[in-house]
Amino acid sequence: MRVGRLAQALVVCRKELKDWARDRRSIFTVLISSLLAPIIVGVMFTQLARQQRDVEDVTIPVVGGSNAPALMTWLRQQAGVTIVDGPAYPEEAVRTRQDDVVIVIADDFANDFTASRPAQVRIVSDSSNNDTRAKVQRIRALFQRYSTEIGSLRLIARGVSPVIASPLQLEDVEVSSAQQRAARLLGFIPLFIMISAFTGAMQISTDSTAGERERGSIEALLVNPAPRGAIATGKWIAGSLTGMLSVVVSGALLFALFQYIPLEDLGIRFRLGTPELIGTLATVLPLCPLIVGIQIYVATFAKSFKEAQSYLSFLMMVQMIPGMMATMNQTAMRAAWLYYVPWIGQQSLLNDVLGNKPISPLTFVVVGVVNLALAVVAVRATAGLLVRERIIFGR
Amino acid sequence: MISVENLHKRFGEVRAVDGVSFNAQDGAVTGLLGPNGAGKTTTLRMLYTLMRPDQGDIIVDGINAVADPQGARFALGVLPDVSGLYPRLTAREHIEYFGQLQGIIGSELRTRTDQLLTMLDMTEIADRRVAGFSHGERTKTALARAIVHNPRNVLLDEPTNGLDVMSTRAVREIVRRLKNEGHTVLFSSHVMQEVSALCDTIVVIARGRIVASGSPDDLRRQTGHDDLEDAFVTLSGLQPDGAAEARSASVKASPS
Repeated sequence: MRVGRLAQALVVCRKELKDWARDRRSIFTVLISSLLAPIIVGVMFTQLARQQRDVEDVTIPVVGGSNAPALMTWLRQQAGVTIVDGPAYPEEAVRTRQDDVVIVIADDFANDFTASRPAQVRIVSDSSNNDTRAKVQRIRALFQRYSTEIGSLRLIARGVSPVIASPLQLEDVEVSSAQQRAARLLGFIPLFIMISAFTGAMQISTDSTAGERERGSIEALLVNPAPRGAIATGKWIAGSLTGMLSVVVSGALLFALFQYIPLEDLGIRFRLGTPELIGTLATVLPLCPLIVGIQIYVATFAKSFKEAQSYLSFLMMVQMIPGMMATMNQTAMRAAWLYYVPWIGQQSLLNDVLGNKPISPLTFVVVGVVNLALAVVAVRATAGLLVRERIIFGR
Repeated sequence: MISVENLHKRFGEVRAVDGVSFNAQDGAVTGLLGPNGAGKTTTLRMLYTLMRPDQGDIIVDGINAVADPQGARFALGVLPDVSGLYPRLTAREHIEYFGQLQGIIGSELRTRTDQLLTMLDMTEIADRRVAGFSHGERTKTALARAIVHNPRNVLLDEPTNGLDVMSTRAVREIVRRLKNEGHTVLFSSHVMQEVSALCDTIVVIARGRIVASGSPDDLRRQTGHDDLEDAFVTLSGLQPDGAAEARSASVKASPS
């Protein structure tokens, strides 16, 4: 009888997968859900890397550069600096964001400079533009350095030590760097992967339960002598497989993507190599059966596909809350037992995996077993629903 | 063979089925006749084990379907009131899916599927997805998957409802064929002609109770109407002045 049950569950599973594979909507869902993470991560990292490069390789539009040939020569000698001719109306150009920053050298720069009077260099920038702040700061620092160098030379020429003119030694430590932002972004990767598990399984979870009720095929199905447990199990296995497929696709795409993202440009020591990929899959795949078990249970209460989808969207938000909290506040989520709480545990495990912390294989096994056990409870509960007249006939 | 004894089912205050008893014999077609809302579908739902009676017994081939619904299901083939299909599967896949759920596999399943497709004149549409099927084609698909395991007892809830002439004929053909092969066929209908054309025994049900049962001739005799439709109207109490008469005529005749 046991083997018979399993065989019947597999019959149901095969049918659900066939049905699923023929639905354009379901393929679309898996694609979208697994592409979401790589696309968001890819776009944001590329953006960050570009900003970082902007700071290092800086192009400075200069108006009146001919007034200060020595300064221009010095600037050109600095690493990553390119000098171009500035626009005719510098302030207008910056205000319209045509240029991030424009340098204006005053006409009497040469006279003042040779007379050792402060010679004017104007830095035209827009401080309300966050994206260009780092670049402006770098340019300002360049001129500051030139100014200090020349000042030192002048002091030395007059027999005074330049150190006397520097009573303070200032050092900037920037905490909101591109690195920091990138690291925060990496913290969202586990969340993205788990969302893909959720959305990937949603199609079968709704179609094989609420969909079955909506179409009115549930009566005919349940008249079969196949036990309710076998029917629920078959649907659960099919849903879990699609959720896992979504996770694998999503993980593989991220993996491929990280071979191309110039993380070194950001100065980040982050690797998504084969061990990290395996660790990610070992963490998230055992979660899929539980997600689907709960989805199927909840969706069975819905009379229609749409109703089920709104239930499940809500369920996803509820399930995401602990994950979000873990992402936002990583120190608060360090208690050992939290590893065994579904969703939070995966989140913590994934953070460890991606953070290259050593994890005992036993942890994976125990977390997996806990999830599977809870999933079985959900499937049994679903089988229990399939006996209720309100579920079978309520339309 | 199906025996129903004193079946009761209520939904809140409504007594949907209120003491229904009858027998459906092997090798005979039994028709459950009654106006809409009489309790036909509820009765059938209890017979095909998806609804639990509040009281009463259902015996299917010696198995108590109330106590052992799982066991009874093996002996039942059912075309429910609502018989939805899976739009993305073909007719053949529907039949095979239900066959596999019944435990039929391999060449046996293939042979049986082909046999059903031929019998219902569906060979041309067998490998098309059912999404584009007409109502008749859907009903035939649902019927085929219901009897794929060659069940001893076949329950059909309003099988010809809304069908065109050709599809109705195909369904009738199947019903006659099942009867000749010795199956128990029980079907419900609110159409007099349907029942009189096919049934050996008619069970007339109204307001959850059996108001008469017997062969078509028995019913004519009981009511004193030569016309079966008049008999039906009288029996089901659709006309107020006929109600009392119907009650008094309520005889529990066992089928011959």
